[in-house]
Amino acid sequence: MSRRYLQVDVFADRPGAGNPLAVVLDAGACPEQGRGSLDDATMQAIARWTRLPETTFVFAPTRPGASYRVRIFSPRREVPFAGHPSVGTAHAVLEAGLAQAVDGRLVQEGLAGLLPLAIAGQGTGRTISVRTPRARLIETADPADPRLIGALGDLAPGALPPALMDGGRRWWLAEVRDEATLRQAAPRWAAIEALAEATGSMGLCAFARADADHDYDLVVRAFVGAPAQFEDAASGAANATLAAWLNHNGALPGSGGRYLVSQGREIGFDARLQLQVDADGEVWSGGRVRSVIRGHIDW
Amino acid sequence: MTVRRYLQLDVFADRPGAGNPLAVVLDAQDLDEAAMQAFAAWTNLSETIFLLPPDPGADYRVRIFTPRQELPFAGHPSVGAAWAVLDSGLASARDGALVQQCAAGHLPVTIDGQGDGRVVGVRAPRARRREPAAGTPALLDAALAGLPRGQSAPALWDNGPQWWLVELADEAAVRAMVPDLAAITALTRHGEVGMAVFAHADGLSANGDYQLVVRAFCAADGIPEDPVTGSANAAIAAALAGNGRLPGHGGRYVASQGREIGRDGRVEVLIDDDGEVWIGGRVQAVIRGSVDW
Repeated sequence: MSRRYLQVDVFADRPGAGNPLAVVLDAGACPEQGRGSLDDATMQAIARWTRLPETTFVFAPTRPGASYRVRIFSPRREVPFAGHPSVGTAHAVLEAGLAQAVDGRLVQEGLAGLLPLAIAGQGTGRTISVRTPRARLIETADPADPRLIGALGDLAPGALPPALMDGGRRWWLAEVRDEATLRQAAPRWAAIEALAEATGSMGLCAFARADADHDYDLVVRAFVGAPAQFEDAASGAANATLAAWLNHNGALPGSGGRYLVSQGREIGFDARLQLQVDADGEVWSGGRVRSVIRGHIDW
Repeated sequence: MTVRRYLQLDVFADRPGAGNPLAVVLDAQDLDEAAMQAFAAWTNLSETIFLLPPDPGADYRVRIFTPRQELPFAGHPSVGAAWAVLDSGLASARDGALVQQCAAGHLPVTIDGQGDGRVVGVRAPRARRREPAAGTPALLDAALAGLPRGQSAPALWDNGPQWWLVELADEAAVRAMVPDLAAITALTRHGEVGMAVFAHADGLSANGDYQLVVRAFCAADGIPEDPVTGSANAAIAAALAGNGRLPGHGGRYVASQGREIGRDGRVEVLIDDDGEVWIGGRVQAVIRGSVDW
């Protein structure tokens, strides 16, 4: 059964700079074309086969006010919400003409409920941002806390203390003194894994303010400690959690509640994420998206 | 930006999702090496290939990349390359054969059948036994703790990559095995790519569509279990031929691999009259489209 397929690069200003995402459009039934709806087991099998961080499946909306419905799968399981899949799916839906933005807005229906997306600009300069679930502070800690000291090693700390935040998933957020220190840091995987397991968190999200004269304001590196150990290329949700923490401390970089993040350069990517904290304190996470592969999938 | 034809294939697969995925970029002539490597990292598949016009004497040229590096030769990418060349009309088989140009040289490819039933086979590099390093027996015992062993002794084989090959008592032992990845990592610490276990299929299966069952663990490479592995299957065939214990008939058999991790691949193996090992299988085109890079 043939369905439209896109593989897009999210948070990317150039090909390969961002986080890849597979999008299966037409995941629902279409009796006129003799097409059935994809079931859970098939979606999970496709998401395992693509080997990408996430694969999304687009259905017709079922709730009033929704533009479309999406289900998000990692190679291992279904995910209630994730930032880069939400942004990338909105791009694919717009490109395929499955929904149109109204007053610069789309509404995504997913397991986490209805979430608005903001669409700004046109063509290759278009940016898409998703309003992320509210994050809350769990605790702050001293850099010398025995749970943290192994993961942080001798990284020179910045102004803010390490904090554990929950934005759907939990992350330890740790400021590092400057950009050069953060870019040169070698992750201490065994300690990061132990930290993630001891605190029920994804791991360590380290950040530093950018040196002057860059086109971004903040540098972020996100080290996932469990269940697997890897550095994430571009983390929409982790960055949203970090924006909430910075806002909580009155320490937002950039201006007017908006700033740009550089992430992924140390692992061969070079993503740009746009963060915004609006007047209501809601955090929006977004960026540009490029369609790299366009075609059909037969499964 | 140039738009090129793109295929994402499932190799060694009788149905979509059963085999080993492969990204194929056609019309790759003006992509440079850095762009190829960057795209292969971005697809995140075990291999991405690029099809190019061949030099005289070959029907097509292919370059094979993992997310980290270029490879001179690999089995499942070569099977997929020949299938894609035929599917797209870039070349036609003569007398059931094609010649592939890759970094390892000019290599023969065989084509049997048509359409969905078409089987592509590639000749694997000759496999040789290697002497293991000192201290290996204890590491082997640790990696195989509690597993019922088969008739032949574990051995180290080299057909480009080096594989530890371990025969287990029967199909059930292979299928039920819970790998001790730390012990396998310790065993493969001298640059071996991994450890493959195998057994002859049980009576019921042997009458069915496969005669050997295989699993391959590449723990030191960060791949706990590989879905379908051309080089491991070729090395196992050489080891079985050396022991006079080939399953199937006339030097042909089919191996089942990947079922324990949600796949269900089939590798068709042939040992020819010269003792050369050929590995092949069927291919499914899962994604068809274009790539803009």
